[in-house]
Formats: sequence, C-alpha cells, structure tokens
Amino acid sequence: MRQQSWAEPWRIKVVEPLRITTRAERERAIREAGYNTFLLRSDDVYIDLLTDSGTSAMSDRQWAGMMLGDEAYAGSRNFYHLQEAVERHYGYPELIPTHQGRGAEHILSRMLIKPGDHVPGNMYFTTTRAHQELAGAEFHDVIIDAAHDPASEFQFKGNVDLTKLDVVVRKYGPAKVPYVSVAATVNMAGGQPISLENLRKLREYTKRHGILLILDATRAVENAWFIQQREPAERGRLVSDILLEMCALTDGATMSGKKDSLVNIGGWLGLRDAALAEEARSLVVMFEGLHTYGGLAGRDLEAMAIGIEESVREEHVRSRIGQVLYLGQQLIDAGVPVVRPIGGHAVFLDASAMLPHLPREEYPAQSLAAALYLESGIRAMERGAVSAGRDAATGENRFPSLELVRLTIPRRVYTQAHMDVTAESVIAVREVAERVRGLRFTYEPTRLRFFQARFECVHPGGIFGGVSAPERALAMASSDSCALP
Amino acid sequence: MNFRTIIEPFRIKTVEPIRQTTRDQRAAALAAARYNVFLLQAEDVLIDLLTDSGTGAMSVQQWSGMMKGDESYAGGRSYAVFERSVREVTGFAQVIPTHQGRAAEHILFSTVLKPGDVVPNNTHFDTTRANVQDRGGVALDLPIAEGHVAQSTDPFKGNMDVAALERVLTEHRGRVPLVMITITNNSEGGQPVSIANVRAVREVCRRHGVPLFIDACRFAENAWLIKQREKGSADRTPREIARELFALADGCTMSAKKDGMSNIGGFLAMNDADLARRCRTRLVLTEGFPTYGGLAGYDLEAIAVGLNEALDEDYLRYRIRSIEYLGEKLIAAGIPIVTPTGGHAIYLDAKRWLSHIPQSEFPAWALTCTLYVEGGIRGVEIGSVMFGRQPDGSERPAPMELVRLAFPRRVYTQSHVDYVAEVLLHVNTLAKSIRGVRMVDAPDVLRHFTATFEPA
Repeated sequence: MRQQSWAEPWRIKVVEPLRITTRAERERAIREAGYNTFLLRSDDVYIDLLTDSGTSAMSDRQWAGMMLGDEAYAGSRNFYHLQEAVERHYGYPELIPTHQGRGAEHILSRMLIKPGDHVPGNMYFTTTRAHQELAGAEFHDVIIDAAHDPASEFQFKGNVDLTKLDVVVRKYGPAKVPYVSVAATVNMAGGQPISLENLRKLREYTKRHGILLILDATRAVENAWFIQQREPAERGRLVSDILLEMCALTDGATMSGKKDSLVNIGGWLGLRDAALAEEARSLVVMFEGLHTYGGLAGRDLEAMAIGIEESVREEHVRSRIGQVLYLGQQLIDAGVPVVRPIGGHAVFLDASAMLPHLPREEYPAQSLAAALYLESGIRAMERGAVSAGRDAATGENRFPSLELVRLTIPRRVYTQAHMDVTAESVIAVREVAERVRGLRFTYEPTRLRFFQARFECVHPGGIFGGVSAPERALAMASSDSCALP
Repeated sequence: MNFRTIIEPFRIKTVEPIRQTTRDQRAAALAAARYNVFLLQAEDVLIDLLTDSGTGAMSVQQWSGMMKGDESYAGGRSYAVFERSVREVTGFAQVIPTHQGRAAEHILFSTVLKPGDVVPNNTHFDTTRANVQDRGGVALDLPIAEGHVAQSTDPFKGNMDVAALERVLTEHRGRVPLVMITITNNSEGGQPVSIANVRAVREVCRRHGVPLFIDACRFAENAWLIKQREKGSADRTPREIARELFALADGCTMSAKKDGMSNIGGFLAMNDADLARRCRTRLVLTEGFPTYGGLAGYDLEAIAVGLNEALDEDYLRYRIRSIEYLGEKLIAAGIPIVTPTGGHAIYLDAKRWLSHIPQSEFPAWALTCTLYVEGGIRGVEIGSVMFGRQPDGSERPAPMELVRLAFPRRVYTQSHVDYVAEVLLHVNTLAKSIRGVRMVDAPDVLRHFTATFEPA
C-alpha cells in the first residue's frame, strides 16, 4: 500500500517534562518580557514554537556520537567525518565549520563584500541582511511577486524573478554585485521553496555575468522534498539526489546545522574555490576557532555529521514536513488566515488578515504573538515589521508586505497531540481577535531589534483590552484555564 | 598520618583509546602536515599537549548537566543556571555567553575600540592581539622585565609593569578605552599575576578613569598560585582569592575551555549595564541570542558546573603539582625550562636548549617537530612564528623561543607524564643534531595555525 500518513520513523528515547502555567502567571510573564516572546523564560512556556533552530531532539546515534567527540584542538577526527558528510550530501569540497550559521554569514560577507556593493537575494533574512549591511552592501529583494501575497497558491514562492535580478545587475553593473544570495527554503516568505528549474536558470544567469551564486542551505533538505513533491520533472528522484544537484548549481553555501541537520549547535561555510576557502580559514580562526573546529566542540562536529545523514532520509523529511502540513491543514480547515501553501518548517499566521483593525504602526503580528501566549502558553515569533527593522538610510520603519506570526515546529520534539493543542489555541484567539489591541516600543535596539525590543500595550486594558471584564471571563472559560486574574 | 602523595581527586569514568605509531609513520605524517603540528591529524598524535583549551575531561556532574540542557532559543533555564554560576564566581552582574573566549574579545573590542586606540595588557595572547588589531587598535604588552627572563625564579613573572602602564595612560590620554590583564600570563610561560599587582594596576586605572578588564581564562590556577606564593593568602580559599581578583576589575573575558572545564564556550561579564546592552546588540549579530550566545543549552550547563569544579582545592593541588612534577624531572636532567613552573604548562626554552639554531630558523618550531617525530608528542611554538610578524609586515625575533607543553585538565595520568619526561630526556641526547626550519608559506594574521615549513 502507498503510505499516506506521516508517522514518525522513530520512537521516543528520552523525554523532557513540560510545565503548564496559569493565565495569571502568563499575564505576569509576558508583561515582564515587555510583550516580546523572545524575552520569556522557557520555563513559562508550554509549547515552544519560537524557532526550529537548535531546538531539535537528537537521536540516540547522535548522542552516541557526542561521546566520540575528539576534543583535540587541531585535526580532530570528527572534523574529517563532518567533511565527508558535507561533501557526500552537499557536494562542497571545501568545508569551514562555524559555531552557527551567522558565523558563516559573518565570514562570507567580510570576504566577498566591499563597501558600496549590492547583493540581490530571494527575500531578506534578518541576520543575513544585517551582515551584508555591516560589510557595506545594500540588499535587493528579487523574489517573485507571488511571495508577497500570502493567499497565492503558487507552488514555488521562493523563486527568483530573473527580470528583477537583471534590473539590479544592469543598474549597478556586475562588478558591484559580488554574489547573489539564494535561500532554500525562504524563511521570511513562509518557508517557501525555490524550484530546481528556477535555480538552474539563476545559475545560467550568474555564470553569464560572472557573479557568484551563494546558497543559504539552512533548510535545503526541506526544499529538496518540495521539489520532489511538486516539480513534475523531478518526481521520483531521491531527496538526497535533488539536494546534491541544488548545491552543484551554486559556488558556495552558508549553513546553520541547527535546522535541517538536527543539532543543537553548529554551522558551516562550504565553498568550491580553494583560494577563497584559504581566505575564509584565516578569518575563521580570528572569530570562530581553528579551521578544524570552527568554534565547536569535537562532539558537536560529530553530532552534525550524523545529523546530516539522518536528515536526508526520505522517511525523515516526509514525517517532518507531514507534521507541519498537519497543523497547517487544521488551521486552513478552520478558516484561519495562513500563508499558503504551507511551508516546510512552520505555519505562518497572517496577522494583517487576522487583526485587520490594528494599524501597522501598532505591530499586529507582535500583538498576536503576545495574545497567543496569554491565551495558551504557546510561544510563537513575530515575522513582520518589528523583524524588518528600520531602513539603514532613512531610519524609517520598514513595513514588509507580510505581517506574520510564525509557529515554528522543532524537529522530532512535539507530538500530534501537541499540534492539536496548538490548532485549538490559535482558533480560540481568532474567536476573540477583534478585541486584540496593539503595542508600542519602550526599548528599541539599533540592530536586529526584534530580539531584545520591549513594548507596552497601547490600550490601558492590555492585549485583550477591547474586552470588558465579564466578556473576558467568558472568553477564558472557553479555554481550559481556570485561574482568573 | 599525612600522606605526601598527591592523588587525582577523581576516578576515571570513560576512556578514549590512543594510537601508537612508529617513528617512520610520524616522520611521514609530519612531512604531510608540512612541518606544522597544527596540521597533523589528531589520530596520529600519541600525547596531545598542543593546548589545555577545550581538551579537558568533563565530570559525571557536567555530563548529567549536558542531559539537562534546555535548548530553547530564548530564555532557556540553562541560561539561568549559567548566569547564576558566573555571578557567584566572578561577582559581575551582567553575564553574556559567547561560543568561546575569542568571541568575547571580538564583542568587547568591536564595541569599545576605535581605530588608533591603544590597549595595554601584561601580555596579549595571540587571539586577543589579533582582535585588537582587527579593529585598528594597538596592542601594547607591558610585562615586568623578569617576565622575559626564562631562568628568573620570581614567583609572579606574569605581573604587569605598573610604572610603564602609568606612562602609557599619561601619554595616550583619551585613547585607551580599557586596560586588560591576563591571568595567568599565558604568553610569558603561564606565570601568575599577584593580587598586589592587580591592586596596583587597579589604582593606576582608577586615577586615569580607565576601566580594567581581566582575561580570566585561567583565573582558578592563578588564584591557587597566589595562595601558594603570595604573603597573606595561604589561609584563603581559591574561591575567595578569585572573588577579590574579579572585584578589582570592571569586567572580564573568559574562555570556559580552560578553567571553565568545558570543551567549548566562553563569556563576557561586567558591571556596567549600559556597556552590556551595547555588547548584546553586537552579540546577536555574530554569536547568537543573549541567552545562548552561540552555545547549545547543554554547554551552558556544563560550564556552570565546571567553573565551580575548577576552584576545588584538591583538584587545583593535583593539577599544579602534575606540572611541577614534570618540571622537576626536566630541571634535574638539565633541560632548560621557564622557571618556576606555571599553571597549565611546561615551557621549554628552545633559545638556550637549541642555541645552535638562529632565530631566523625558528628553533622552537623545530623543537615541536622533533618532539612529534621522536615521541608522538604535540606541543606548540610560542616564539618567532607566533609573534615575529609585526603589524607593518616586517619581521622581528620574539623575545623568547618557547615550546609549550600544555596539559589538558584531568586527561593524562602520571605514567603519561613519565613517558613525556622520557621522550624529552631522549631528545636532550640528540639536541645538537636538530636542524632549523624555513617558512614556505604563511597567512598575514595568526599565521602559526596554518603556515607551512620545510627543514632548513
């Protein structure tokens, strides 16, 4: 029979107890956190969907690998194992390990970007753009228009619009464009994939203009699965085979192993050019660690090598994305506005559609994340205007077309019942959505402000300020919380 | 009765096999590594004394902490455990985790340093110097004169030259954003800094209104050596001494891979909340969110436990005595080493031992090659390869040509140490036949890690 369900290809070996909080505890916790879910203590969180980064459960084989860590400062055998795994599945002959993905971005940006350069990419990512700007470049979004439309059902919303790219390249000249930065999948677009066909065309274009093509390979395995599922010409190919071809079309990659590769820490920079790799090695030693450990313990290199092998298996990817689709489908069935189609690592709630009464200046997505936490103890992440920050030149707020709340699913951590609770909670908040009120900054950091920003409620009655006291008690009685403030 | 033998205050829970090689195999491996022991495969090394950084054996308490790691991206309970431990040990209010020590330096210097600024230190370590220079700063070493005299038996050769510091702060007024003091002083032979010296430095800094930061990598070993050697400190615990050292400073950078007893990790700690806020803004860019700083939750747990284990008196007594034990054997055989033996390593004095090799042919580097080929031992050169290249690109011989044999914490036994002594005594018989090396290729920055050589 052809299996339709996404049952996990593993059983549970070690568990971590969760704490269920009362409404009163959550009221206090979110206030103390300045209405920023990043600033909550994890002990006050019930289901933690803040990120899928570094939050995975490792396998027994990975833990066994942790015990095989060779902590020699130089030439650790775990490095050679990782090098083999990366070359086998990603195909890059030159490997520079880093403590995590942004370590690789830091080194890459310093090497390739000169002040005044321009870097096109398929939608920005927070830390990636911050590194590009720090090195003196301007980022240009060249993703297709459909990516900015949460309701579009286009299957490859991560694709690059080659016409937009060509406009940037013609305007500034290829010499001012050190590389094109292509993410697979595109996080800020809702975990949307890029097609192999689009990547091939992009390669052809960059080759013709002598521009490097750099892949953000963070969730490339998940992208490969979407290609297998949705691109007719690629149906029947193995995920691992598609992954190799995706990488073969690029000159290098930055990788956060904390996503696809199922580890709690670690990343790498993969390159083809040996001279560029030498330059990267002399930088990595200053910021990260010697080039054979890159700021990671030997055991972390080993866990990542094993994690890579596990991550490319068909049954793993199917179960991983199957769980995300399961949650997404429940919300779609209930009529909750989400980014369509459902992406690889998260379900993205469309806060603009859910809270149409809130102006952008009151940060609807930030408010929705706070409301969801208050309602049920679920922690999500804002991916809208707060994450987008201010324009480097004008200092004005950037209001991206997408104002989203991300429900990110850690790998191999939560069960189907946890997904059910999550869906119920979101639906419960949607019921009282018109009562939700906005937020304003009380502390705004200069860079990557979403991490540490603090807010206060615009309405004196708080996040659910639109609700009178008896109505509010009624709303809470409908959830299973019994402790009234 | 009081027994004289100092034993390890632990037994072994997990072992890691090491591989025997023949002299021919090692000669071939070294040639393949282009005469740079950093480029050897670790499997080809029998006794790895390259560094004590990140190479220690963790305790069962640390491993159980590893299993408790909270991998939440933000606000994890492992961070709370880590923060409490760092506060207890250092007394600093603001605790910022980083993936290792050089990242703490990077964050600190990229936050406070402007091009042309001057940073005085008793002696900068290689990554510290590189991070200062990367920001366009000038890294000034101000060790006391005895620091450069290998044979001197001054008990605190790691001290900073206070009069020189006074001059520098007067001369560069307004251009010194902070003063650093490295304890123990690694580049000068792992020599301790006395509490009296830190007090005097503090006083000069206070008068000039310049903050003092401690490079605290080996703070526990330094505290123990103060207890052993400094008048008035014998009855105090290492923890009390460490607290006093930290209380004299405004903040510290730390590589938890040394006295944090961990395989990875570090932190930046300070009292100034505003400076901490600026550092965190930088932190999220290159390291990670402030409650994990580029470390897994399990690493935060391991460090929290390790910092306290490093201050255990029985452990420190055993640790420092192991180094001293090897030192005594070498001195008895007439092998020149830096005296007195310091906290974490034996430093062979290659300039005296191989006096027939000119500094232009890197005698200490040549000695690291010999130790590997003869005994499978990996040490590290701290001499003209590491320090010879000047910021303007010229070459100047380093004041000392040392080979550091650094001992990983809780890893090797007394019989391993006896073997090392035996190899060194053997090398002593063929010292006059050892030849120098010629540098073939080297990067501009931190060249010792990846430079290649050939026999001269």
